[in-house]
Amino acid sequence: MIGFIRLADSLSSWFGKAFAWLIILMSVGVGLQVLLRYVFNSPTSWSLDVSYIMYGSIFMVAGAYTLSRNGHVRGDFLYRLWPIRVQATVDLILYLVFFFPAVLALIFAGWKYAARAWRYTETSVFSPAGVPVFQFKSVIVLAGILLFIQGLAQVLRCIICLRDGYWLQPEEDVLETEDQLLAEAAESRIKDRDQEQT
Amino acid sequence: MTDPVLAVTMLGIFILIVFLGFPIAFTLMAMGLGFGYYAYFDADLMWRTLGRLDETAGSLETFSAWLGGFFNNRIFDLFVNQSYTVMSNQILTAVPLFLFMGYMVERANIVDRLFNTLNIAAKRIPGSMGVAALLTCALFATASGIVGAVVTLMGLLALPAMLKARYDTSFASGIICAGGTLGILIPPSIMLIVYGAAASVSVVQLYAAAMFPGLLLAGLYIVYVMGRSILQPSIAPRPAEGEIPDISTPRLVWMLITSFLPLAFLILAVLGSILGGLATPTEAASMGALGGIVLAFVYRAMTWQRLREAVYLTARTTAMVCWLFIGSYIFSSVFSYLGGEKVISEFVQSMNLTPLTFLILAQLIIFLLGWPLEWSEIIIIFVPIFLPLLEIFEVDPIFFGVLVALNLQTSFLTPPMAMSAYYLKGIAPPDVRLVQIFKGCMPFLAMVFITMALVYIFPDLVFYLPEVFYGR
Amino acid sequence: APPVVGQSPITMRMQTSWPASNIWQQMAQQYADRVEAMSGGRIQVDLLPAGAVVGAFQVIDAVSDGGLDASHSVSAYWYGKNRAASLFGTGPVFGQDARNLQSWFYAGDGKQLFDELVRDEMGLNVDGYFGMPMPAQPFGWFTSPFESMSDIEGSRYRTVGLATNLLQNMGLSVAQLPGGEIVPAMERGVLDAFEFNNPSSDRDFGAQDVASNYYLGSFHQANEMFEYLFNQDFMDSLDDDLRAILIHSVEAASTANYALALDQYSADLQWLQNEGGVTVHRTPQSVMDQQLVAWEDLISELEEEDIMRRILDSQRSWVERTAYYELMNAPDYQAAYNHFFPETLKL
Ligand code: NA
Ligand code: NA
Repeated sequence: MIGFIRLADSLSSWFGKAFAWLIILMSVGVGLQVLLRYVFNSPTSWSLDVSYIMYGSIFMVAGAYTLSRNGHVRGDFLYRLWPIRVQATVDLILYLVFFFPAVLALIFAGWKYAARAWRYTETSVFSPAGVPVFQFKSVIVLAGILLFIQGLAQVLRCIICLRDGYWLQPEEDVLETEDQLLAEAAESRIKDRDQEQT
Repeated sequence: MTDPVLAVTMLGIFILIVFLGFPIAFTLMAMGLGFGYYAYFDADLMWRTLGRLDETAGSLETFSAWLGGFFNNRIFDLFVNQSYTVMSNQILTAVPLFLFMGYMVERANIVDRLFNTLNIAAKRIPGSMGVAALLTCALFATASGIVGAVVTLMGLLALPAMLKARYDTSFASGIICAGGTLGILIPPSIMLIVYGAAASVSVVQLYAAAMFPGLLLAGLYIVYVMGRSILQPSIAPRPAEGEIPDISTPRLVWMLITSFLPLAFLILAVLGSILGGLATPTEAASMGALGGIVLAFVYRAMTWQRLREAVYLTARTTAMVCWLFIGSYIFSSVFSYLGGEKVISEFVQSMNLTPLTFLILAQLIIFLLGWPLEWSEIIIIFVPIFLPLLEIFEVDPIFFGVLVALNLQTSFLTPPMAMSAYYLKGIAPPDVRLVQIFKGCMPFLAMVFITMALVYIFPDLVFYLPEVFYGR
Repeated sequence: APPVVGQSPITMRMQTSWPASNIWQQMAQQYADRVEAMSGGRIQVDLLPAGAVVGAFQVIDAVSDGGLDASHSVSAYWYGKNRAASLFGTGPVFGQDARNLQSWFYAGDGKQLFDELVRDEMGLNVDGYFGMPMPAQPFGWFTSPFESMSDIEGSRYRTVGLATNLLQNMGLSVAQLPGGEIVPAMERGVLDAFEFNNPSSDRDFGAQDVASNYYLGSFHQANEMFEYLFNQDFMDSLDDDLRAILIHSVEAASTANYALALDQYSADLQWLQNEGGVTVHRTPQSVMDQQLVAWEDLISELEEEDIMRRILDSQRSWVERTAYYELMNAPDYQAAYNHFFPETLKL
């Protein structure tokens, strides 16, 4: 079980992180557009297309990565106060009732949607540059599949929690500055306490 | 059940489920699909394939036609279609770029420099350290659109300094929580982009509109800190002789230049080009993102590790915001299909409100939602419910947006979900209690309400800049 | 079948590609009114604006899937799927206006070629018709006046369909946006100039707030029509008389739409001039001449695809015969106008 969770976590983060680098390409690409417009008075026709394709790919694919790091917004002010096994029970039920139907719909309906775009080798309708979007529409299916696998891992986490009474944390990853600082502060406090005790 | 009753039920169940703590994006998707399945249910469509089979059809064929029937519902195509609309949204493209810029800037060791310099420069005014902290926060807010990092960075830097200078604990904590939250209000703010996308109003105009109210709020914070320090010197003692190094004026000027200028240049380039109509928010954000990288180089803070962190965090936070949109698009499409929007607007109309009472009521609801919820949920899910009402009461959606953005400052400071207070509690010395932090935040909540009232009384605070730039 | 007493009416869910306040939504409403009146209420049309179910550019997918029963749009909006879409309304001008092209659709090979394109070539589950031959579309809105193409070279300009390729080739930087996003895009600085369609829609979008020079006359979209698409299964499920009502109401609404357009477009043009602070210009002849040359280049590129070549061949031979008659026969209307309203026109 733990093996599968680790596998799903790393699959999600691998895809999420790989697509995350598009942000650099996006900054440079859109930045280039500004330069071309003001310095060379010859704006590109594809910049608009390329920027939404990159933005959309980044966030869609990062959906599963964010789920694996528990990064999706939740109204958890009550949830935090519950005993850990209650949390796991509620999560387990809601994953089965809410999460999987939605993600399966994304995969199957997305498949149909993307397949049709492939059939026409559809291009973006926002400019005459003919920038292809059929591959971009396929991102819906990819995002759905990654979420499905990560969802299974989250369900297994709930089961482990019900059985053993602890949440299996994802492996260490980059942290928000605030989380990093919070973690450091907590660590130094533990150290201080240990020193006092010895 | 009639459809409108169903719509209200849908909203009710949704709110209940939110309190169960499940990721909201997926809750929205599932509820949209579930209620949408009912709303678009069409028995003819469902059994069409099965009906076309003749006697020669095998049992497998019959079974698959039967199974397929269950998925023959328009809601599924609608769901994908709506998701693609979010994916190709040309306003939200600015979100990852501004996030990336913010993550680069917060890793560039700018906050320490700014605070130290300002602290020395301000040392003769009352509550100097508090004022320096607020100024640092406000400046940083014009380069970043997010909250957490500023609160923690300042909490580590300015809070110990203030406590050491015998500042009152509550007072000092309030300053940092309130100041650190300004980043999400003062442009470039992620919250305003998200509002722009949710309400289909121009982000450029929102930025111009929020500029003065944001600076006014920061100004009121400073006035409050100085006033309190004059009236009650014990909570913010003047620095003792020698506590803050004496630095010659030319050297101080040089320090100010080196700590300000690169950041100021970045801010001017980004905000100036948006407001001046030279670049779209997305284009300006890309310049800002590149500028953030350059800035990190300039301050010798650029490492491979930091770049990777910024890139990955950008992807995660963008996913957090935009998946909420995926959920809310399908949810609100089904909600309005069932007639939910109409029910709400008829209900509100039956209350015979004046525009002012409507505004107060709407802002009160948003304020109360801000206790348990965070800004992203409130803007993406609840603001669209208010929007159709704005037309009825002839409230400008940009004006409303600025009030909402001001109001949501409080959501970071009010329990049970007071993110700024929690961040501060997490890094503050252990004897700083959460109750003290909340107590310190209360006067700043009052400043937010005063600013909202001023904005209502003097709407030019909102409309002046959009008028100058866009003649609206 | 004869109407059964107590039979519940069929609701046809039809989405347009226009904002609710646009005059084109009124035109779609004229169609809906005719369907409801002629069917004696056996068909109720649930007419929705753009975005109610899907975005303005996505109605064709939704109709083919059955998410919508019908749509009211223009074919240029799905030209990302197949560029031949644009030949039904925003294609080259060989000398025909929109009424001529609409006649090609119904009396020439138009309907047959359209069916071949959407059904055989693209595999869509739709039945399509064309209504409302639109007046030629103005070259559009510019922030400052110009004399020739070189004055506006490199400007970011919004149009749709093949006109994007045409004007891109003429040195503009073209973006294609749905109507409702144009003015926000001007405000955001994404665009320098744009065309949408006609004085009423343009006024409704607030074009006069973001640009003050309005150029009339252009070959970029001089024969557009509304595209009505129906889900094929929905059509098949109807009684013959109801299906006929849906189809022939397109023809009926065409007349009503044109009358409304002539009345409203002209009144709004006056409003724009007199109260909107807009200077109305005639597009320079040199620009229009260049447009014809640009079309010529574009045609030879388009003809490399089989279906496009066949559509263009059919249109060309239709226009060669029919427009010859029209033009040879037309009296000089301009002379008559000048005779009775001297010194009014600014050509
Ligand atoms: Na900001
Ligand atoms: Na709160």
